[in-house]
This record gives sequence, structure tokens and C-alpha cells, in this order.
Amino acid sequence: MRDNAAFWIILQRLRIPLIVIVVTYAIAILGMVLIPGLDDKGNVYHLSFFDAFYFISYTASTIGFGETPYDFIYPQRLWVLICIYLTVIGWFYTIGALVSIISDETLKQELIKGRFKRQIQNLKSDFIIILGYNYVHAEVIKRLTKAEIKVVLVDHDADRLNLFQLDESSMGVPVMVGNVLLTTTLEDAGVCSPYCKAVVAHFYQEDRNLRVSILTRFLNPNVKVITKATVRDTMTSLLDTDIAKVENPFDIFGKRFDIALTAPHILTLENWIYKNSDLANEASFLPQGRYIICGYGRLGKVIKEKLDKHGMDYVIIDEKGIGSKEMIRNETFIRANADDKDVLLEAGIESAVVLVAGTENDIDNISILITAKKLNPNLYVIARENTMEEVSIFEATNANWLFMIERILINKTSLQLSQPLKHSFLKRILYEDEAFGTSLVNLLKAQLGVNPQLLHLTINEKRAYALYHAIEDGELIELNILLRSLENWENYHKAIPLFLKRNGDEILLPSNEILEIGDQILFACNSESREEIEIIASNMYDLHYVRTGEEKQNWLLSKIFRTK
Amino acid sequence: MNLQKVISGFFFILAMTLNFGFFYGDMGNPEMHSTYELFAALIISLIATALKIGDKTQIGSVLLASSLVADIQLISAVVVWTVVEYTSTMTNSHMATIISLSGGAFLANITSVILYIGETLKSKR
Repeated sequence: MRDNAAFWIILQRLRIPLIVIVVTYAIAILGMVLIPGLDDKGNVYHLSFFDAFYFISYTASTIGFGETPYDFIYPQRLWVLICIYLTVIGWFYTIGALVSIISDETLKQELIKGRFKRQIQNLKSDFIIILGYNYVHAEVIKRLTKAEIKVVLVDHDADRLNLFQLDESSMGVPVMVGNVLLTTTLEDAGVCSPYCKAVVAHFYQEDRNLRVSILTRFLNPNVKVITKATVRDTMTSLLDTDIAKVENPFDIFGKRFDIALTAPHILTLENWIYKNSDLANEASFLPQGRYIICGYGRLGKVIKEKLDKHGMDYVIIDEKGIGSKEMIRNETFIRANADDKDVLLEAGIESAVVLVAGTENDIDNISILITAKKLNPNLYVIARENTMEEVSIFEATNANWLFMIERILINKTSLQLSQPLKHSFLKRILYEDEAFGTSLVNLLKAQLGVNPQLLHLTINEKRAYALYHAIEDGELIELNILLRSLENWENYHKAIPLFLKRNGDEILLPSNEILEIGDQILFACNSESREEIEIIASNMYDLHYVRTGEEKQNWLLSKIFRTK
Repeated sequence: MNLQKVISGFFFILAMTLNFGFFYGDMGNPEMHSTYELFAALIISLIATALKIGDKTQIGSVLLASSLVADIQLISAVVVWTVVEYTSTMTNSHMATIISLSGGAFLANITSVILYIGETLKSKR
């Protein structure tokens, strides 16, 4: 009965009006039957129940056909007068009640909820539940709908959802107003559906993220939870319980910072995968020398850790934080407002090579950045940007590297959800060294130009019909078969296999692997080689040609032209 | 004592008794069955239905269902009576149809009253 609450609300509210109508009709009809009248010949008669009901029906609804079957006499007319007021008031009361029910807020909510639930039940393909509408999620929804993945959005604030519905990416996205911290809301949103693949929650209050993760875990352990945690406590409790995929933008940036110090070409590859830039971007190491870090919060700590690891020279400036004894002894901590020329000079800005403007306040960061650039124009500047609203200002300041929390979350979340294979590849190469990065970038550039495409091929019946059946028949097919040219099987086209994923096994830069059903392969390619791979994988004649160099004989034709 | 219970109990039982009053008597004899009683039975049955609406419990839905059955039976009886009255003359077989329809309604009303009593007995207050 919970499913059609709206229906029950209407019935419950209409109870009294219905009784009022029944009673007024009953009184009116009974009176009409009991009061004697005169027919056209002057005989006394009583209206039958049918006559009375007929008469009252059109009188009560103010239609008024006149007096039937014979003209009324005065006692009857007196009663009709009473009937009119009685029944018409009854009707007005009912109509009033009906109108007030229709404009009732709870009923509206229930109707919307009912429609939402029906939409969820009708979803027959994989979908992702997004909790809360914010800048990050707006972007994620845009990218997921572009990748044709269905999403469901829940937010506790109706105004924000209205805002979303003005957006063009909202077409066909079921939305619901509801408290996402409650199990019932999650259930309504379809967490328990077998098609639900993931729940995304990036609340600023991180205990909410934890709560959503735990609830989801209990409701449906098969659903992935993607969430964010920047505070250690929340993060460890999330990781300890093995509930969710946790994204910590500070750790992510810390890793990038580390890579920028040791293997910048890996970052070039990453940016290419995220489509931030192409491979032409010159990869360069972060400069060696003195680093000045303004702000010793979550970002400052991560950077300090990495600098310590590589034994670099640095100084931290923070107004509020307190450095450890060791830092004070080493004179690597200055307790002062970084947005001050003298403080920056004291920290050695003139001889420093890198400045990190990493406080929690965007305006402070911009101000620090401008002051520092004045004092030392050759400075390499890393700026932290906390909210997306200030993007254009930051871009105008010419910072060399922008750390944007939201951008990192958007990229990471949408890639993970829409292209999991690319995400695995990316995670894998982050642990490779500079030599690997340089050679791969050079190989890609030499063979495919500065902006190669990525192709994701899964060996299943749908995507790779020919391969699937050949492998099923027990034939051994090597990966490089897919790389042969259809024009001349002895040549190869230009695609480069980057990554192969097979039941949890991951092979970086595979070459002669024997293919198995269910393999997922990531290729770097151009549009020509993309087409060739797809044709070889799905067309058995072409597959036969690249394997043997011969045209496959058509069974029927070869029977007819046996002589050949 | 719960006033609401008194009112709803009153209507449920009245619907049944009026129904019985109309039903009781020689099946084929129109003189033994009053139109007024049928009218009253129908009106009270409709009011009882309205009172049962909106109770979302399991027993509430069965109560509502039995009441709807009684309504439909009584309305059919009324329609049959009206049609016969205005299109042909009342015969014993016509009257028997009307009475048996109301007999069905009577059964539904009994069901509903039994359920109602059962629910009341079960209640701890």
C-alpha cells in the first residue's frame, strides 16, 4: 500500500465530502418521494424514487431541467427550495475539498515520488545514483549522459533540483526530493535494483559520505560507492570497512606532485587520457631548488611529505598552524601571514624556484600569487583553487599549475564510471617511471600524432562477433592479429595496444597475448586503425584474411565452383 | 469509549440490519418488500463505504472491499427495480431477482460486520 500513497491521501481527504453528498441526496430524495403532488388530472400521486433521484440530480448540479413529471404544487416547491440549498452546498463543499487536495503540497510530493519510483522501476539498463546536486555532480552528470549512462539524482533541496531541470543534461534523468541520509530514500532511488551500479556522494560534510557508504553497503553490497574524504578520520574509517572507492583530492594531487618531480611524461599521458590537453604539451620536471609553501593545511602537509621524500629544500608559511619541533629546529616553518611582502622576502622568495599558494582562501591565494610574482617574476607557481566560481580570475593570474579540488573530483569520478578500463590503465601507469613515460609518449607521437584516440574493445559476442566465435571454437588468436592491415596482411596498421584486462589481471602494453573471451583491451589509434580493429574483430571473413592471408571461401560458392 | 468507533460501528451494523429488513419475506411477493427500506439500505451502505475509506491496514482493505460488494449488489437491485418499473410490469420473477441481489449484499454486509467485530475484539484498548 506504500506504493500509491497519493491515491490514499485523496481517498482519505474525500471521506467527509462523500458522506455529505450521500446524506444530502438521501434527505432530498426521501422528501421528494414522501411529499404528495397532483398530476395533470388533479389526482394525488407520489414521485417514485427514480423520479426523485432524476430531479435532484439535475437540480443539485445546478443544471435545472424544470419540474417533472408534472408541475409541482406549493408544498413540493417548498421542499425543493430546501433541497437546492442543501445539495448545492454539499457539492460546493466537495468541489472545494477536491481543489484543496489537488493543490496540497504533500499530495504533490507523493505524486512526484510515485512518478519517480515508476521511472526507476522501468529502468532496464545500468544506472548510477547521484546524491546531491552540486558543481561536481553537475559536471559528472553531463559527462555520464554524454557516455549514455543513465543517472538518477536525489537532493533534499527542491530549488536546486529545479535549477537542474533547467539544465539541458537533465533530459530523462529521474529526480527526487528526499533526505539522502535515510535508507528509505536510497531504496526509492533504486539502490536495491540489480541494474544499479554505483552510488556517488561528494558531500562537503564528510560524515555524510561515510553514512551513505555504510547504508548502501547494507542495502546492496554489489553497488560501488564513490565518495570523497579529505579528513584522515573519515578516510580511514571508509577504507577500513572496505566500503567505498574513496577519492581524496589532496592525496590525488600529492601523487601528481610526486610524479611531476620524478616522471612528468606520465602526467602528459594522464592529461591526454582526461582530454585536458594533447601529447604535444612539453613535459618538464618541476624545477629543483627552494620551495615556498603558503598554507599548512591538508594540501601543505601532502606537499611537505613529498618534498621530504625527495630531500628537497623548502619553507612553510602559515598563520594559524603550528609546526612540529623538528620543523622549527630546521627553520622550515614560519608562523606568519603569507600574504605579506616582508614575510615572503624572509622566506627567501628571491632565490626560491617554486611557490605553492595553498591556503583555504581563494582571495588570499590570488593575492599571495600576485605579490610573489612581483618579487620574483621567474617563479613557478602552483595555486590552489577551492571553488569553481573563481576559475576565470585564476586563469588570468597565469599560475603554472592550478590545483582545483572540484576539477579533480569531476575527472576522476566520471572517468571511473563511464570508462572503467581507461581508469584502470591510468591507475596502472601512475606507478611507472619516467623512462616508461617518455618512451610511450614518443611512441604515440611518432605513430599516431599528438592526439591519438582511445578505443576500448571487449571480446564478447556483441562487440567482437568474429573473434568471440573463433575463440569459442578453440582457436588460438594472438593480440597482434588485430593490428594487421586489411589491405595487406603482412603489414600492420598504426594502432598501439596499451592495456589488457582479464579477470583482475592487468597487462600493460600487451603484444603477443593469446586472447580470451571477456578480455578488455585498450588501444591508442587513429580513426583508420580504429575502423580496422573493429572490422577484424567482428567480421569473420576479414578475420580469416588477416590470420592466413587468404580469402575465406564462401561455403556455397566453393561447392558450386569446386574446380577452382 | 471511542466516539469514532461508535459512529462507524453504528453505520456498519445499520447497513446490515436494514439490508436484512428488506431481504426478509417472501421472495416473489413485491408487497413484502418496501422501496423505502431498499433506499435506506443503499444510503447507509454508501455512508458505511465512505467511512471505511482511508484505513490502510490489511483488515481495513477487506472491510472496504466487502462494503463495495454490498454497494454494487444494492445498486444493481435498484437499477433492476427501476428498469422493470418503467419498461414492463413487475412480476414475481423480477422481484425474486431484486431480492436475491439484496441477499448477496446482505452476505457481504455480514462479512464486513464479522470482520469489524473481530478487529474490535483483537484491539487491546
